[in-house]
Amino acid sequence: MISLKNEMWLESRIMENRIAQPLRGIIGVLFSSLIFYILWWIFMDPRGVLKWYTPQYGYMYIRWILIVAIWQAYVFNFWPFSLKWRENTHPAITGAVLMFVNFAIVGAVIWGFFYNFLGIYSIPYLSVNKLMGKGMTEFFAREYSSLAILMFAAIASWLSPIVTVCFANHPWHNLKQPERGITIFCVTALLSILAFLCLMHPHYHVLFWPWQEYAAAYPWWDKFAHTLSGNFNVGWVMCGTVSIWMLEVTFDRYPYILIKNKILRGVVGFIGVFLFAVLLFVTFNFVQELAWGPAIDGAKRILAPDWRYQHSGELAIMMLIPAMILNFYFDNGPKKYSAPVNIALRMLIIVVSTMVFHWLYYKFSPSLLGTQAAYSHPQQFPMAPGILFICVMLFHNWFMDLWPGKKRVGNSDVMLDDDGEEIL
Amino acid sequence: MGVSRRGFLKGLALGGTTGYLAMAGASSTVLKDVFIPPSPVGDFDIGMCKSVKCTVVSETSWFNNARVVQDMKDAGGLLVNQYIIPWSNTGVKDGYNGNNAGGYSALIDLELLDGSKKKILLDCGWNPEWMDECFKREGVDKMLKNKEIDVLVLSHEHFDHFFGIESVLKNCPDIPIIVPKGFYKEGFDLLKGASFPVAHLKNDYPHTGPIEVRESGKVHPLFPGCATISFDSAIICRVLGEQGLVFNVKDKGLVAVTGCCHMGIISFLEEIKHRVKGGDKIYGIQGGLHISPFEDWDPQYDDLIQALPSYGVEILACNHCTGYLTAEKMILAGLPVVQGTARFRSKKKLFLGNGDQIVFG
Repeated sequence: MISLKNEMWLESRIMENRIAQPLRGIIGVLFSSLIFYILWWIFMDPRGVLKWYTPQYGYMYIRWILIVAIWQAYVFNFWPFSLKWRENTHPAITGAVLMFVNFAIVGAVIWGFFYNFLGIYSIPYLSVNKLMGKGMTEFFAREYSSLAILMFAAIASWLSPIVTVCFANHPWHNLKQPERGITIFCVTALLSILAFLCLMHPHYHVLFWPWQEYAAAYPWWDKFAHTLSGNFNVGWVMCGTVSIWMLEVTFDRYPYILIKNKILRGVVGFIGVFLFAVLLFVTFNFVQELAWGPAIDGAKRILAPDWRYQHSGELAIMMLIPAMILNFYFDNGPKKYSAPVNIALRMLIIVVSTMVFHWLYYKFSPSLLGTQAAYSHPQQFPMAPGILFICVMLFHNWFMDLWPGKKRVGNSDVMLDDDGEEIL
Repeated sequence: MGVSRRGFLKGLALGGTTGYLAMAGASSTVLKDVFIPPSPVGDFDIGMCKSVKCTVVSETSWFNNARVVQDMKDAGGLLVNQYIIPWSNTGVKDGYNGNNAGGYSALIDLELLDGSKKKILLDCGWNPEWMDECFKREGVDKMLKNKEIDVLVLSHEHFDHFFGIESVLKNCPDIPIIVPKGFYKEGFDLLKGASFPVAHLKNDYPHTGPIEVRESGKVHPLFPGCATISFDSAIICRVLGEQGLVFNVKDKGLVAVTGCCHMGIISFLEEIKHRVKGGDKIYGIQGGLHISPFEDWDPQYDDLIQALPSYGVEILACNHCTGYLTAEKMILAGLPVVQGTARFRSKKKLFLGNGDQIVFG
């Protein structure tokens, strides 16, 4: 038996609206946009302070901010911070502290684990210094290693939430923290590493010359994807990430939540998420063909097959942003009908919003974000600012309880039985 | 809310089938051919010429690759505006008098069917001192002074193709110039005589001749048998737009001549195929193909090398930003890369270098 608070503190929150809609939603979006813009200008903008969006270097940090936020809130349930501290501290302080902790962990993961451990003792392309030692320029050494490190994160962003969202933390739901967090972390890390080795490591077989025949498999997707680039896998993995998050924020875990057995629910849910990801991937590729004609083998830019796959992932992220805005700031749209109808209406709102957001992004990103005006640019990834904005929204919800629009007035004392069901 | 297993499976089947038909079904069935029409066959007649001779005035855009990459990194990466990057112009050991900048420029001699000749100067390099030396070596300075060169075609606004404009205008300030759509205000200001101290860039010889901006998505005739095609390519260092030249050589086929081909050589060949009459026969390619200019790599470039043989190109006179690594891989793949002589500071014989020539026709 375990309390809902200790199982998933975020789900135990009792929230009160301090401001009426639509003002609450608008203020929430503006608040997140402001924080996003400050972070973008300081860290990423090519006209800004640190100019890390070179692009892979800054993109790498953004990717890992997302993973660490998932670890903090979903996997470790805010451990080592006590839930009492989380409950009794002003949201602005919890937001700042947890964001700072997030950035510190990101730094430790990248600089400690990847650059100075795994890159040195295992896979050289993860270490800037190792690549420079092979004669590569510092710029490209940093870009190559950043690409690999962010790919780890891309895969982890799809797999990390699976245990919580699909399996409701089963079979480890009754463990206390940090045992549960460490267990889920290890399981998802193992899956992510396996996925990376199969989906991205082959990209590095052909990235270096001579080809790394003995160290990595040849890109096995070449014949049917018409590209050697790992962007093929980036695309559908990103669709997988969006798929699982939409299951959480738009579908309220429906219909899988109807399955009582948590393990069965998790397995069916994982398969369902994968199939939805494939549908998104195929659809977004088709939409691009309608807009720009079929991709052409060997072409660059907008006609490149690998860019089209990557852009499918980018379009999926552009869909997730309005989905999260609808959930976090506008009470997730209509609720008065049955679950399937509510979800269908939400999807309609999200699809229309995606098209609007797409237009707005490409129209205004050059002046706002310092990017170049183009759909396809070899050094631009809309996923970078897109995921940073998502991270800020997650900080606002998970670390700040959506203050000031909402106030957390307490937490539910619900207890869960050994099957994870509420004890009435 | 509970539901029976049968109800759940029915819902799943219905939802899944509907979702599939709504999304993947259309894209994977015969409906796809309804929604996506076949590509057109080129029908724009650009005329014909007898021969095209390309002289590589300079293909060494810079002398130290690591230095130019470091300059971009220090400025903030590949998206920073090229007009505010402090390019290294002193203390570069293998530079030109310590200056890392070189430049790209090619002289194209076009012989028409009636025997008359036209001269096109493609791009004007970067470092004016280096370009002065190269122009003198090939006699381009005298040709400019005598107004023998009909037009300066600027393929795109990149520093190594455009910042040496002073070297042209000091000899011929009123030369007609053609630029692709996408040139920024800074580029037009430079033509008028502006300077950009941070980038160590100036032009003391304001342009007084006509400037034509060529829209993308169209074939623009230039001379009989010669046309340009512009692309809306967004490129590193905040540059937009590039144009390439296409020639129709009698009894041979079409020849594509590029500055950097940032749009991609496959895209350029496809555009020629779908717009220009006779585009299904690409005889030759000359110029930079921007694949591994910094000797970096991406598996996408292997896709290109694997796809290029299907276009049946007989002469592949690539150089400059194609990159030595790319040339090496192309040669291994059996592509007809034309070797150079590695003179006048070109480093390797892998492809055409400074002072080398190629004739199509």
